[in-house]
Amino acid sequence: MASVSEMYDVTWEEMRDKLRKWREDNHRNSEQIVDVGEELINEHASKLGDDIWIIYEQVMIAALDCSRDDLAWVSSPSDMSSSSEQGTCLQELKRQFPGSQRVKRLAGMRLEALEKYEDASKQYDSILQDDPTNTAARKRKISILKAQGKSAEAIRELNEYLEQFVGDQEAWHELSELYINEHDYGKAAFCLEELMMTNPHNHLYCEQYAEVKYTQGGLENLELSRKYFAQALKLNNRNMRALFGLYMSASHIAASPKVNATVKKANVKYATWATNQINRAYQLAGRGTKENKCSVKAVEEMLESITMS
Amino acid sequence: MSIKLTTQAYCKMLLHAAKYPHCAVNGLLVAEKQKEKKKDSHSTPILCVDCIPLFHGTLALAPMLEVALTLIDTWCKENKYVIAGYYQANERTKDFRPNQFAEKVGARIAENFSEAAMIMVDSTRFTMGCYEPILAIYDHHENKWKCRDCNADCFEDWCEAQKITSALLEGRSYESLIDFDNHLDDLRNDWTNPEINKSVLHLC
Repeated sequence: MASVSEMYDVTWEEMRDKLRKWREDNHRNSEQIVDVGEELINEHASKLGDDIWIIYEQVMIAALDCSRDDLAWVSSPSDMSSSSEQGTCLQELKRQFPGSQRVKRLAGMRLEALEKYEDASKQYDSILQDDPTNTAARKRKISILKAQGKSAEAIRELNEYLEQFVGDQEAWHELSELYINEHDYGKAAFCLEELMMTNPHNHLYCEQYAEVKYTQGGLENLELSRKYFAQALKLNNRNMRALFGLYMSASHIAASPKVNATVKKANVKYATWATNQINRAYQLAGRGTKENKCSVKAVEEMLESITMS
Repeated sequence: MSIKLTTQAYCKMLLHAAKYPHCAVNGLLVAEKQKEKKKDSHSTPILCVDCIPLFHGTLALAPMLEVALTLIDTWCKENKYVIAGYYQANERTKDFRPNQFAEKVGARIAENFSEAAMIMVDSTRFTMGCYEPILAIYDHHENKWKCRDCNADCFEDWCEAQKITSALLEGRSYESLIDFDNHLDDLRNDWTNPEINKSVLHLC
């Protein structure tokens, strides 16, 4: 099989930079990370300098995702002596950083990947014994609960965690997702409100909050959802979900028997505006593809349905 | 009353699940619209000819699902299709029972198409070789969903489906699969997946 560098005509520096970008954006494209990272480690380890350690960590986690235990950890010591295989990430990290909590956590993650949840939990407990403030270990323990399907416990533990570490945005987001999966939209909204407070310019949180409110249903929540879809659009006028959401919420409000004529008129206006914007977006994107024509047609029908009512 | 799947429909469902192994995924199945209702129409199985992958990640939110259903409904009318089923693969591998959300969407589809099916993907049996069908098909009877055995009979041509799905998985075709979420991220992404459809035809 051709190497990554051959297939995509990239240099090792470009591969290293790509890995960094994926790291910074927290992408979970594990197969790609393994492909690029494995080659980088095997062919260019000497050139990477100190970067190699963080790359080992990144590749190891990706390898766990892809069930590449051969890359994450070589099972028997005898395999090590024969080959020049350097892709045994965890062993290299253990050797370089003996006794490190960060490496211990990686060992725990490997146990999780092997579904040895009790052993993994013990691993994390030992980290927490030495360092009770180790957030990574606590979050891994909650992940184990999630993996075992113990949603109620995971939610409870995550709530306790957030009482202590109230600024952990990743945790708030995770909690909102757990609540959404349990159909507890009220509590999910609360988590997103926390995120919006600390990240007022993040259009994605605004838009997700609007989706949760819409799902909750009821006239008040619909109006709130419309406002937040509009806010998300203000922050990023290319957010299609916000645009579609604005259309959906406004047209539902306009169609509701509980609203007076003024409110209805206003919402028809918003929905019409949204439809025109959606139309425009599709025209800009479309190269006259068949599917696109259908989408444009659907949007035109949407426009007709509002103006008729 | 029973549905059957074409290779293209089965393929795209599994490719969708393979593209996002760490997420829940869902989508719709479409069948050709029957022209007349024959007297014995309930004995001829409904053939689901295509699959539209919808979302990955957090599934249980309403607005984008409604948008998708609206747009796809229009597309169906243009192509003389009807939305005939809903599939879902849960986030946790071992969890392959339909949840409340799946039942809700399934019921909504059944309102427009009485023989709608709900399909759950069983990820524990998901292999590259695709040696057995990994679906659980549920039919709507008296407001309840009943599970039906899924075997080679549920496919138009199981051997072909098995061969082609396996080949596309090996070739990592799932990397280019577009679902509705990808479409919302960039409108140029085509959720009808013409390239993958071509690959399926090519291998037939």
